[in-house]
Order: sequence, then C-alpha cells, then structure tokens
Amino acid sequence: MTNKVLTICPYCGSGCHMNLLVEDGKVVGAEPADGRTNEGNLCLKGHYGWDFLNDPQILTARLRKPMIRKEGVLREVSWEEAIQFTAEKLTAIKEKYGPDAIMGTGSARGPGNEANYVMQKFMRAVIGTNNIDHCARVCHGPSVAGLTYSLGDGAMSNSIPEIEDADLLFIFGYNPAVTHPIVARRIVKAKEKGATIIVSDPRKTELARIADTWLPLKGGTNMALVNAFGNVLIEEELYDKDYAANYVEGFAEYKESVKKYTPEYAESITGVKADDIRKVMRQYAKSNKAMILYGMGVCQFAQAVDVVRGLASLALLTGNFGRPGVGIGPVRGQNNVQGSCDMGALPNVYPGYQSVTDPKIRKKFEKAWGVMLPDKIGYHLTEIPHLVLKEDKVKAYYIFGEDPVQSDPNAAEVRETLEKMEFVIVQDIFMNKTALHADVVLPATSWGEHDGVYSSADRGFQRIRKAVDPPGDVKPDWQIITELATAMGYPMSYRDTEEIWDEMRALSPKFAGASYKKMEEQGGVQWPCPTEDHPGTPYLYEGNRFSTPNGKGRLFACEWRAPLEQPDQEYPLTLSTVREVGHYSVRTMTGNCRALSKLSDEPGYIQISPGDASSLGIEDGQLVRIISRRGRIVARAQISDRVKTGATYMTYHFWIGACNELTGDALDPISKTPEYKYCAIRLERIPDQLRAEQKVREQYESLRKQMHVGAGQA
Amino acid sequence: MKKERPNSFVIAEAGKCIGCKACELACFAVHNRDNGVAAAVGTVTVPVIPRLHVIRTDSFTMPVQCRHCENAPCAGVCPVQAIVQEEGAITINEDRCIGCKACAMACPFGAISLYKAYSSGQEHKQPHLRERLDGRLERKTRVIAYKCDLCHDITHSGNIASGESAAAAVNNSGSPSEGGGEPVPACVSVCPEQALMLVSPSLGESRSRKAAGLRL
Repeated sequence: MTNKVLTICPYCGSGCHMNLLVEDGKVVGAEPADGRTNEGNLCLKGHYGWDFLNDPQILTARLRKPMIRKEGVLREVSWEEAIQFTAEKLTAIKEKYGPDAIMGTGSARGPGNEANYVMQKFMRAVIGTNNIDHCARVCHGPSVAGLTYSLGDGAMSNSIPEIEDADLLFIFGYNPAVTHPIVARRIVKAKEKGATIIVSDPRKTELARIADTWLPLKGGTNMALVNAFGNVLIEEELYDKDYAANYVEGFAEYKESVKKYTPEYAESITGVKADDIRKVMRQYAKSNKAMILYGMGVCQFAQAVDVVRGLASLALLTGNFGRPGVGIGPVRGQNNVQGSCDMGALPNVYPGYQSVTDPKIRKKFEKAWGVMLPDKIGYHLTEIPHLVLKEDKVKAYYIFGEDPVQSDPNAAEVRETLEKMEFVIVQDIFMNKTALHADVVLPATSWGEHDGVYSSADRGFQRIRKAVDPPGDVKPDWQIITELATAMGYPMSYRDTEEIWDEMRALSPKFAGASYKKMEEQGGVQWPCPTEDHPGTPYLYEGNRFSTPNGKGRLFACEWRAPLEQPDQEYPLTLSTVREVGHYSVRTMTGNCRALSKLSDEPGYIQISPGDASSLGIEDGQLVRIISRRGRIVARAQISDRVKTGATYMTYHFWIGACNELTGDALDPISKTPEYKYCAIRLERIPDQLRAEQKVREQYESLRKQMHVGAGQA
Repeated sequence: MKKERPNSFVIAEAGKCIGCKACELACFAVHNRDNGVAAAVGTVTVPVIPRLHVIRTDSFTMPVQCRHCENAPCAGVCPVQAIVQEEGAITINEDRCIGCKACAMACPFGAISLYKAYSSGQEHKQPHLRERLDGRLERKTRVIAYKCDLCHDITHSGNIASGESAAAAVNNSGSPSEGGGEPVPACVSVCPEQALMLVSPSLGESRSRKAAGLRL
C-alpha cells in the first residue's frame, strides 16, 4: 500500500507542496501537491530529489551513530558519551575563555524553524553569547541588512503568486530558471499575460533570452547601474512626486549622490548602453505594477548592501509598494534560509527580528528564558577565519547543518581555521568535508524524518511532516540541542515541535498568530501574523507605512566601488560562482540522488566563452586546470556562447571541482557577505586528458572513502 | 469506425522552456524501470538516456523530440525494418536495431540518438562481436537507436494540449498518476513551465487557421 505524506520540498525557497509516497516504511516516490506557490508543479529536484533518504551512498554516507575523535580517528560512541563529552568540553572552554569564545550556526536546510529557535536559544541562554549566525551570511545577508534599513523588513515585500500579475518585471542578478524553476514559471506566465520583462545580468540567462530588454552589464558594476537608474528617474522627473513627498525620506541626499551617475557615465563603467538605461527606467516608471526580483548577482559582492538599498530606492521613488504585484523580492535560495533568519539565527536579533541591543526586548527574553542575556552583537560567520587565525578569539565551533569547507570562500583558510580551533562539533545528516575536521559528530534526522515548519522565500510558514523513521541511531536536531543544554545545567525539554513553536511565537509579535492549526487550515501563513484571528500578510506595507522607526521608506545611494581582486597578467580571467538546476547547495542531498547525480556529476564544470576556449586550445568537455591565488582545482570545460570573453562561471555544488578553493574572502563591510561573484583566475589546458580523467576517478573514490561510503550498511 | 488521425507528437514552446531538463529525467525514469531507476534503493548503473534532448543555443532553449512523421524517413532508410508505425506512433524495435545510424542521419530533426543498450541495469553484451580491450577480446556492448515513443505503453494523465495545468504528474514508480484526462507522455506531465504539449492533429484541420483568420 502506498501512503501519501503531504510536506514541503527541501530544495530552494519556493516552498512547493508535495506528497512523499511511502511503501513499507520507505519513500518510493514524490508527486506535486497543490500549494500556494507551486499549484501542482515541481521542478526536477522536487520530482527526483527524495532518494537520498534511502542512503544510496553515491557521494557520501548517512551518519548513523554519534562519533568522537579518538587518537585522530572518528569512533562511534553512545549518545550518552557524545552528549556528556560535548557538554564538558563546551563548559570548560566557556569557563576558560568566556562565552564569546564559542561560535554556533543555525541551519537553513532540513532541520526547520523549531530546531533553529532551539539552537539560538542554546547559544544565547546556555552558552551566553550572541555568536550565532548561518549561511544567510554568505547569501541574502545583504538583503536582510539592506531592506531592513530601507523598508524595515528583511524579506520579500511581495508574494510569489503575485509575480504573474505584474505589468513589468525587473530581474536583477537573478537566474530563477536554475535556482527557482517554480518562480521562473510565474515569470513565464507574466510574460504570457503581457508583462514587460527586463533582465540585468552579465550572462545571457534563460530569462535574458525571453526578456524584452537584456542589460548585459560587466560583472561587479551593479552600484553604478543602479545609481544611473536613480539618476534617470530624477533627471527626467519620472519619479512619483507625491509618493516621495509623503512616504519617503532622504530625497535631497539621494538626488545629490546619484547626480554624477548619468547614463553616459554609467555606460563607461557598466558597458550597458546609456539609451537602454533610459529606456528601461521610463518603462519601469510608467508601469502601474512594477516588481523587482533579485538574487545572488546582487548579494555576493563586497558592495552588496548598498545595491540592495539602491534597488529598494527605485521602488520607493516610483511608489511600487503597498499593493499586490509590486515591490521588491529577494528570492531566498535555500528552503529555509528565510526561516533561520526569522528564528533569530543571526548575531544581532532574537526571533522575529527583535534587536539584541534593545534593553526592553532583552528583558522580555531574559524573563522567558530565566537567565541574563548578553547585550553585545555576536560574530558574523564569515569573520570566523580572521577571528581564529589572526586574533585567536574563537576556540569552539558548533556547526549545525552546514558544510563551510565546501560552501564558504577560500576553503584552504576555512580548513586551517577548523584545525586551529580547540573544539569543533558537526551536527548533520551526512558525512561531509567539514566533519573531517570535527572532534564530535552528532547525527540528526533528515527532512522526511521529522516534523516542523519551513518559511518559504515569501514569508510563508508551512508545515513539514515526518514520512518515515530515520535509519540508525539518530535524533531530531532540536532534541540533540536540548539534551546538550540539559547536560550543561540548563534543563530544556519539549514534547514536540509544536510546543517549541508556541514558545517562539509567544515571544515574537510578528509571528504570534501563526499557529500549527492555522497552517493546517490555510496550507500556510505568511508573516506578519500578529494575532490568532489574523490570516497572514501576502504583501507588506499596506497604506505605504514602512516598518522603519518613523514609518517612512529610506532612500540610499553611494559611490560605486570596483570588486577587490581584478584580473591581471597572471590571472587574466574572472570567475563568478553560480548554480546548476539539478543540484543544490553543497550537494550532500542531490549528490546522493541517483537520477540527479547521473544527470551531472563530479568533477563539475567551468563555463567559458568560445573565444577564450579557442585561444587556450580547450575543447568542450575536456578537463582543465583552474588556478587562483588561493588554490587550484580541475573541472570540465563547458563552452557556452552565452558567456562573455574574459568571464568564467562555476557552481559551488561539486566537491572535486570545488570553486571555493579559488574564491576570495573579501567581504561586504556591513553584511560581511563574501565576493563569490568576482575573483581572478587562470585556466590551463591539460595535454594528457586520459591521465587527468583517471586522476579524477581516483580522487572521487578516495573522497567517497573519506565520506564513509561503503563503511556501514546501506 | 475509428476516425483516422495522423500521429500525435510532443512539441515545446521555446518562449516557455527554461532548460531545466525535468523532461529528460522524467523520460529517462519511465523508460528505465527495468534498469533499477524506479526502485527506491540500490544504485542506478545506467547513464541518463533521454529520448528528447534539451538544446541550448545563444538565442533559444527547448527540447527536441521525434515528430512521428507520417512518411517517416527514418523508417525508409532502416535496412532491417526495425522502425514501424504502430498505434499512432513511429517506434524503434530496439531488439532488432543493428546500430547502423542511418535513421539518425535521415532524421531532419536530430531526434534519434545512439547509446549503449542496457537490460536489468547492465550493459547488454552481444553474443558474437568481440572488441579488443586492454589486449583482451571482450564481448562488445550493443549500441542502438533511441527516440521518443510517446511513452507508448507507459502513458500518464494530466495536462494536455488544452493547456490545463498539470494536476498530476509522473511518479517515480512509473505508474500513471491520478487526475483523469487523456494520457500524456511523461515529459509533458512533468514540465513545471507547461512548455511541452502533446499535439493530436486531425487530417485536413489546422489548429492555427482559425486564430490566423481572426487576426485578419
């Protein structure tokens, strides 16, 4: 008998409803369900991305028992021993160096909101530090910072279903055909309904292909282009004067800042034709319902927060808020990265975006949690290498559901950091590259094996449900953390995830009315949802009242800054990191799905232009060596006429062709997000292809062995 | 009496396709249930062999697949009569195919590709032909022509040319999903952008004639 379990897809922030098909306690298939955002559709990851649950051990093996490193080797131990050992080590480090010597992460992937709530509570109430952060830092961190500054909420102001009803879609540094096929579907539908589509991207992406206007800007010039847009709106008096007068502040400074960025000046920096800049801004200003959607092409630069604020300013100047089908949408990449931000897995806010530096709020949490709480903002994830290697300030790292060695820039430096630390805890579902440096490994249940709530990219709380029992001796993430807290002398226990959720919403006014019951009845609840009788909020800023301190939207512009590492004679090409539709994040999940890994597998690819390929003598499909100032790797050349000469692209999914061995650690000064989208590299042809192929196969085999493939029972 | 109809065929709209290859994977999954692709556990040993191919050029992206030509040139050049018309589709008898590539060359759409043959998850070795590998003579794997068969005996229900949204889609066990409506191939039902459709023309009729007339 096939049993169907309704849940939410674990890939990307689209928040698609799906049924897992279960037979004899095993997941045997997936089918789309009728959700708010997906309306009975799934992309290929949704359809074919579930079988990692059955542990096929293609890339890496499921963790089944807790492990402690003894004489240099991870050995399986009992849960009692693992919890006791971890609690004692953390307590000792806290006593010796103080609570701020310990760093923890949230997890934007499988665990869900409840586990993230418990994790940040553990770091704040049990350890006594605000050193909690997660992969939003390397992703939409600039959106949270930038939009909070401009509008008051660090999230999409609109909803995914509204996209298809916009008159004009302005898509900036965002490639949903690859990252969110189900969001791309709304854009395709909008075009069918007659919307104008404008795409700004250095690469001719699928949406650039179907766009009315494609602005092929040079990588790393976003701010100059966004400033020029503002310049046109003001110089040509296209902006909404009433709106700017009543709902917006900072106009005079803004006007002054963008003055110099005439379309002609911007053209000299960005390569985008001045006439095109004028044309698209006239269209944008004239449109009744214009919506901006953006992604990593905005956020993964050392100048990212500024660009986010600049884009928000365009929507503010044209009055595109407070209605359906308008606004600005940072479309979140991971299934629950909105949720881990919502839950306060950030160094500056408690759950519900409540500031840790506000004494009144701190007092509320102190009362609820029964302890004194730290008043200082914690460390950012991306500062950890520097804080460990240069300042020697952080001694222990509790890494929960993340794989920084694969996902963070400059992997060699990340490895060095982990090696130098006194104590590293990895809590995950799969063996991964980071766990190779762990002192303790705590195995957790996966998506499909536990209950909870995910937040979709458009602020939608939706229930995930347990479909099957987990393999081996593993526990839900929240339970592991509560056992650790109890062992450290802060008793924590919950009956189920709903009890955690209810504690969280009682402390978070924005989420107070979003009960499990309401999610059950409505299929989901979009925050803000302040009271039990409130249905939730599809779009923000009704009545053009923003969530900023004085209720006004804040305009912002500043000087463009060039990316930090420029190509030179030794490293003549630029590298930008991107995504591939059939894989997800660090690939522990999709790399262990049989059909998806067959579609595309190690060592991964580097996209290069036909011109660069021919001048280097490289053929399509050949293995090539890629070298930066930080590392060297091998990947397969993918020659594409959609790539400009001088530019190259790699995805961060692959473990052999791991682009983060190459990327730099330059950070945005505010959000501390790394410049994944720009570094300098050199490509080398490999004359002996047969030997190179053999070496890749050997490397894959040894990697799989390190990942315990074949060691346990399948 | 049954009304005589030309063969149906699957076609894609380049304006909707985002190149995600969900169609390729769905095609691969439903055609390889015997090769372990549908099973929930165990390793898939066969490579992805789709019967439609997403092509990407500078200016367009879309899957290309067999048009099930009424006067199929592939069948005309096949020296062993492995290509026949049956039940509204042009199909290749894969057991009979000798891998001569004539059909692939004759097809004006490039809808036919040659790949290794598999059965029960293993390469299908031929009984007689040997090839020299590392100095040893080994039985050579069969190579055969693959193309769209309109999911012949494995069809699915869901969105068809009428443009209804996909209420149902293929599941991995390859069984037809619920939802009613005319059966459609796996690629059509799985496409998240509804970029693919099954076109079932009638002799003497044209879908676009009326629309063109109205525009005059």
